[in-house]
Amino acid sequence: MIPLDYYLILSALLFTFGVIGVVIRRNVIIVFMSIELMLNSVNLTLVGYSAYLGDPTGQMLVFFVIAVAAAEAAVGLGIVIALFRLRRTVNVDEINILKW
Amino acid sequence: MSVTGSDLLGILAVGIVSVTALIAMLAGVFLKNSARLVMWLGLAGMAGAFAAAWGTYPSAGTAFGGMILAGGYASFFGMLILCAGILTFLLASDYLRKEGVEYPEFYVMVLFAVSGMMLMSAAADLIIVFLGLEIMSVSLYVLAGFMRRREKSIEASLKYFLLGAFATGFLLYGIALIYGTMGTTDLAGIALRFASAPPPSLFWVGAGLLLGGFAFKVGAVPFHMWVPDVYEGSPTPVSGIMSTGGKAAAFAAFLLVFVKSLGGGGAKVQTLLAIFAALSMVTGAVIAIAQKNLKRMLAYSSIAHAGYMLTGLAAANQLGESGVLYYLVAYTFMNIGTFGVISLIEQAEEKRLEFSDYAGLGLRQPFLGIVMSIFLFSLAGIPPLAGFFGKYYVFAAAVDAHMTWLAIVGVLASVVSVYYYLRVVVFMYFHEGPEGAEVISVPLLGSVALLLSAAGVVGIGVFPSSILSLTGWFF
Amino acid sequence: MDFVDIIFVVFALIVVVSAFIVVFSRSIIRSAFSLLFTFFGVAGLYVLLNADFLAVTQVLIYVGGILILILFGVMLTTNVVSVEIKTGTLQTVPAAVIVAVLSGTIAGIFWFTEWHTAPAREGPTTKALGTLFMTDYLLPFEIASILLLVALIGAAMIARHERGTEGGR
Repeated sequence: MIPLDYYLILSALLFTFGVIGVVIRRNVIIVFMSIELMLNSVNLTLVGYSAYLGDPTGQMLVFFVIAVAAAEAAVGLGIVIALFRLRRTVNVDEINILKW
Repeated sequence: MSVTGSDLLGILAVGIVSVTALIAMLAGVFLKNSARLVMWLGLAGMAGAFAAAWGTYPSAGTAFGGMILAGGYASFFGMLILCAGILTFLLASDYLRKEGVEYPEFYVMVLFAVSGMMLMSAAADLIIVFLGLEIMSVSLYVLAGFMRRREKSIEASLKYFLLGAFATGFLLYGIALIYGTMGTTDLAGIALRFASAPPPSLFWVGAGLLLGGFAFKVGAVPFHMWVPDVYEGSPTPVSGIMSTGGKAAAFAAFLLVFVKSLGGGGAKVQTLLAIFAALSMVTGAVIAIAQKNLKRMLAYSSIAHAGYMLTGLAAANQLGESGVLYYLVAYTFMNIGTFGVISLIEQAEEKRLEFSDYAGLGLRQPFLGIVMSIFLFSLAGIPPLAGFFGKYYVFAAAVDAHMTWLAIVGVLASVVSVYYYLRVVVFMYFHEGPEGAEVISVPLLGSVALLLSAAGVVGIGVFPSSILSLTGWFF
Repeated sequence: MDFVDIIFVVFALIVVVSAFIVVFSRSIIRSAFSLLFTFFGVAGLYVLLNADFLAVTQVLIYVGGILILILFGVMLTTNVVSVEIKTGTLQTVPAAVIVAVLSGTIAGIFWFTEWHTAPAREGPTTKALGTLFMTDYLLPFEIASILLLVALIGAAMIARHERGTEGGR
């Protein structure tokens, strides 16, 4: 079997990519995609641990994370569309209050 | 495992709120102009849930195979959050009509948010913490953007959503690492492992990420950047419940994970919390001085209050923990009350939100003037109101825990805060109002809510033991 | 290197490269389609970790649901025909710092941590997971269903047109 470390490092890398995306990108939808990368990395960590601990809890957690990701996707894109209707932009720095 | 009657009894209060939300949603779909009806339905449901929480309070335990807490701690927070929900309902109906957005969905979403907060504060497993948090957050994202025609509202919603989802990512990574190093997500199980052997360093990375996620939700520095914009842009009653119920739920989960399960987390975590607390108190108090918009001022003040509450957590002793619980109750009444007065005075399109709009208000409208003064004096921490005792307990706890410096920072920050709270009072009583200023008619439901909040602030201030006797045995 | 190792390396490469494109590509469409490969790569890794049912779920929900939603978001908010699809980046220096610090710490800690490993379970997991959903995890399962309902109502409410305007209900 592949050592657990490899999975964990891979997921840490994926998580880092997600964080970078959130910090450097200005397009709201890309920021959102980066958040999805972070959630996928969490899921990979959970499944990895679950397999190596021989305990299904981790996999159960992943289902809930996926459900939450779906819920957030629906609401998030609803908000983005509402904003676009008002402002015709999806770039965070054209949204004046959005100073990070 | 099969579901038993005691399981259902354990989640009775939150169950009543969720079912009420579902019925309210259907009523909103099938009946025309049902906003008022839905509001009364929700109020009845929350009152019933309050009674259920009160009834199950003496029988503390867990339900659903150790997934969720029942009675005791869960009932206490359930009642607190339901109070916040009920006051929000009473204040919201006139506000929504004034803004022309009186739709039943508002009440449905508030009910869902309340049920999420209650779940989070009753969690006995990290899964429930996470799911409760998400129900609360998703409802609040939507409520923040409830006034879709107003740019500020949608922008507040978007900012809250993006940063909230970002924080959720960190929180989840923390949960994943804790699960991996401890082999379980059950808080009691984590407590057992934690007590039996020193956890690996990776566990602390996970705990740190989780701590960051919670600090974001309570709006503590350095994770506070969303607070001012979101509180300012959201509909005023939503800011009210976000700052009180949301904060109470996040602190409840915080206490469950870091105090009950990890025994305060040890010196490192306490130092970290003390730093967060000091930064929040100072940042919140100092920036609040410069604000002209009352909602924004209250947002910074809420950051400072998160700092005061974190002081109690950093002290990690019994006085600090019951102090935080007392503070949360006091803060709920005084902050919802203040946001309530603001929502009554505010006009459509975000007018009348500045300090100068309060000139002469105290003489023109004695009732609003008096209740607003009570809330502001309490927020400033002036005895014998509830806010004073809250601060007293957490600072005393810090001194007990040999963190005198933190108590001193806290006292200095509250001295600064007296300035911006009393400035509103000065405007209300010592500045001349404009000629022929409009006298705002105070709606019945709104004044009931304000009277209840004021009674709460005065009542638990004069009789602090009423709350302390409820919470004394939790830790 | 045996067969499983090679598969792991392939999937890991797919994940890393596609995630890189998601974050750094200047074209939002390219980012969105690259995300597809990340999701598939992660699903492949699930299979290697004996999480067969999860792998299927990942493909169905992430690829079939969330990614489609994102693509709709892209198309509804960008004028695809024009060249407006390009999106800028900012703050490259802080990003580099974050990469170094975050991945360095985490990777380092992983490397120096001792793992208590149990033999991995073989065979399909669907039945076991289904049983858990209906027993130990009944309450979270119900809560998750409420969460999805909240999201449904919320998304419909915030994205629909105003009452009384065109397209209103």
